[in-house]
Amino acid sequence: MRLRPLTALLTLLSALIISMASPAGEIRIGLTEALTGPASQYGTPIHNGFILAQEEINAKGGISGNKIVLIEEDERGKKEEAINVYKKLIFQDKVLMIFGPTLSNSMFAAGPVANAAHVVAFGTSNTASGITDIGPYVFRSSPMEADVVPVTLKAAIKHLNIHKVGIIYGNDDAFTKSGYDVFKQALEDQHIPVVDTETYSKGDVDFKAQLTKLKAADPDVIICPCLSEEGSNILLQARALGIKLSFIGGNGFNSPKLVEIAKTAAEGTIVGSPWFDGNPSVQNQHFIAAYRKKFGTDPNQFSAQGYDALFILAEALKKVKLMGNLEQDRQALRDALPDVQIDGATGKFAFRPAPPHNGKPGGYDANQTPFVYIVKNGKFVLLK
Amino acid sequence: MDWSSWWSTYSTLVLSIGVYGLMAISIYITLSCGLLSLANAAFMGIGSYVSAVATMQFELPFSLALLLGTLTPSVVALIIGVPVLRLSGVYLAMATLGFGEVVRVVALNLDITGGPLGLNGIPLLTEWWHVLLALILVLILLNALRHSKIGRAFEAIREDETAARLMGIATHHIKLLAFVLGAAIAGLAGGLNAHYTFTLSPGNFGFENAVDILTMAVLGGIQGLIGPLLGGAIITLLPELLRSLEEFRMAANGVILIAVVLFLPQGIWDPRRFRRWLKKRATHVDA
Amino acid sequence: MLAQQIVNAISLGSVYALFALGFTLVFGILGVINLSHGGIFMLGAYAALLLISKFFLPFWIAIPVAMIFSGLVGLLIDVLILRRLRQRQASHLMPMIATIGAAILMTSLAQGLFGSEARRFPLEMFNDENLKLGNITIPLLQAGITTLSILLMLLMVWVLKRTRLGQALRAIAESPRAAALLGIPVERLFYLTSFIAAALGGTAGILIGLSFNAISPFMGQPMLHKGIAAIILGGLGDVRGAVLGGLFLGVAEVFAITFLSSEYRDALSFGLLFLMLLWRPQGLFGASATRSA
Repeated sequence: MRLRPLTALLTLLSALIISMASPAGEIRIGLTEALTGPASQYGTPIHNGFILAQEEINAKGGISGNKIVLIEEDERGKKEEAINVYKKLIFQDKVLMIFGPTLSNSMFAAGPVANAAHVVAFGTSNTASGITDIGPYVFRSSPMEADVVPVTLKAAIKHLNIHKVGIIYGNDDAFTKSGYDVFKQALEDQHIPVVDTETYSKGDVDFKAQLTKLKAADPDVIICPCLSEEGSNILLQARALGIKLSFIGGNGFNSPKLVEIAKTAAEGTIVGSPWFDGNPSVQNQHFIAAYRKKFGTDPNQFSAQGYDALFILAEALKKVKLMGNLEQDRQALRDALPDVQIDGATGKFAFRPAPPHNGKPGGYDANQTPFVYIVKNGKFVLLK
Repeated sequence: MDWSSWWSTYSTLVLSIGVYGLMAISIYITLSCGLLSLANAAFMGIGSYVSAVATMQFELPFSLALLLGTLTPSVVALIIGVPVLRLSGVYLAMATLGFGEVVRVVALNLDITGGPLGLNGIPLLTEWWHVLLALILVLILLNALRHSKIGRAFEAIREDETAARLMGIATHHIKLLAFVLGAAIAGLAGGLNAHYTFTLSPGNFGFENAVDILTMAVLGGIQGLIGPLLGGAIITLLPELLRSLEEFRMAANGVILIAVVLFLPQGIWDPRRFRRWLKKRATHVDA
Repeated sequence: MLAQQIVNAISLGSVYALFALGFTLVFGILGVINLSHGGIFMLGAYAALLLISKFFLPFWIAIPVAMIFSGLVGLLIDVLILRRLRQRQASHLMPMIATIGAAILMTSLAQGLFGSEARRFPLEMFNDENLKLGNITIPLLQAGITTLSILLMLLMVWVLKRTRLGQALRAIAESPRAAALLGIPVERLFYLTSFIAAALGGTAGILIGLSFNAISPFMGQPMLHKGIAAIILGGLGDVRGAVLGGLFLGVAEVFAITFLSSEYRDALSFGLLFLMLLWRPQGLFGASATRSA
């Protein structure tokens, strides 16, 4: 990699001067994820999923002969950059629609820009509640925690003898905090008391103090709406402290990395998610094999959701006749998306309109049935 | 590309240049009287939250919300300034960093700030001329201040605090004034920023931002008001200019910081260096 | 539970202590807050990881090599950046900003080279056992870290107090100019200090990487925050204070979780730092104010 600030400057300047029109035979799609900074551990797998899907779609001739071109931009997980990138993609690159950004907080910043410009903003990893309240141009393919958690909890209650629970979660992160809120509500609905709630911060690696306190509170199970990164440390340290309880994870806990790192400590962990690596469907096994081949690492839920999202778009584009008038094309795509249904790496997928918010129409959430999995002998298997 | 589509693309960037110019000026004020305070990101956060809550929950007019966003951090600065400003140098820097973390953790745990999810759906109220007006007002005020007795007192304290006190300057009051003024400007910048970025979360005002703001002032130069403005603009634009470096673009950011400290110790905008250059050229012409 | 929490507190605190040791040393001798210490901490962990998993070096060779590597990184920063600033007698602001730049550079390079995913050393390669004393669990590795940081602290104190090298270093800490007049090779000892401090920082990173799945380009930043809190609690520039401050911070955090609520942990540790500066800027254990910086 050579450092080319001068070229960069020139590119920017020329971009300021020349407006770009999309050549025939290309469908320009914006893709913005956090590729640098701490959020890149989620942004990069998503980005990879998209790249893989783009290759596969274009190799099969694209969309009725038109190739999908991804205009890729890094948004660093920062709200101002997310807005800047969105504006660049919408007004300068003149893309048909935009995928990303990675974090819910960034979508809260960038989504309104796309909605006001009547361009589809499509999140694949935003699980916070309220995302689709932004407006009718905001879509997401990531099921909300509110859809996943109650199902997980019910399955876990059936499987284990649960009368009281302990919780540990990260309280400085939108993803894990949303997970916690939903778990709390679901537990109230099931009349299960919480005997102890512990929190940690981003970047923590030592959870022994919190776990010791949880152990003393003597719950039947520990609920951990965490990301797999912290999750594996928590599991390892819990076992070291002699906690033999099962853990229940939220959406995003089901990374193959969890088992790879925590090994036997992960046994008995229950997670709910539309995706898991053990799903034997043809689409999923093909996706996992192709991803490993291309990137040399295991995919996770985020990459699967990115991969599927491009196929969702491809399906919608099959029904849209692009006229070359950007405004009309963007609107036509927006109108075609809600009816799309596919059967992808994350299973059957469809959209569901979000209820109106303060009298204003909402966007579209994912309508997917989550499955509940348990770790047995070092593998995620369906919990029956 | 015509004007309106240029503006649609870059309006946020332009507003950010103005807002971060204000932030760089807010830290310049404390630096110009020899105080290394890193609390300005926290003051910006307080200003953002207060003004966003004012427009969203109390539906106050924007002007009033901005006023509250300016006043609240000033009051906080007044309260913590009295004990904190007894410290100097690195100790002051560390204490103000600690204060910033406390503000962040409080924002994470309060209900009215929305916790880690922050405040979302903040109305888009900031227009370009709001930012411009704020900048002009602040610049006029500070320019007047610089050439007043107080401005000279700032300089005297920066050069030698003990001597300044012996000369009869009420150093403690003057330092407190600089601290509060910096907080007010940071709060104003925060209020403006909140109303064009739609969302606020505690992560926006942490250590990293405190450091960014300091960098702007030092990069631009703290010999006058132009330096911080320039530094704010450069640091805001840099990530956009370096986009083509992809995953290494932050590395370039780091290299630039080091290079400026090593080779341009007075910052980019250094009137004395410019004068030296001019003189050199003049002598060339004479010869 | 309380006995277990005390064990947890000491093991958490000794990690902070080990990190703070090098951090405070640079401040004590060079008078510089080196904000790239977190970056060195991170590079040390990656160096050891690379040596073990890519070059298949045995554990007992890889660790010292990674320590020396981190030391060299610190030396490089001193030679390229801090030395020039010393020569110019720049204000204390300048080294802070330059070392922030260095930290950003290191983080970005590590991310570009290794990706952003957290990693840990292969579990099989070291002893992952726990010592059980009745109800209390003491992870052996953690016990090792605690022992090591206390040993290193004692060694540093001994060097500073009892050896000629230490005498020279203390003279420099008082006044570099006077030390130079006494014929002490000031510049060379600055290099040595930077090397040792960075090697200590790298060691902390390696040990964290051994204990947790935590080696990531961003692991330095949170640790830097804790390190700042620890050295202020203990008194800036004071070697004993850094270790005691680190342990104290660990105890404060764990007790905040035990007796209050984990939500207040971070507010408590930084609130403590804040109050400490107002009440006793020289720190809990500092006898008198260190040289005014």
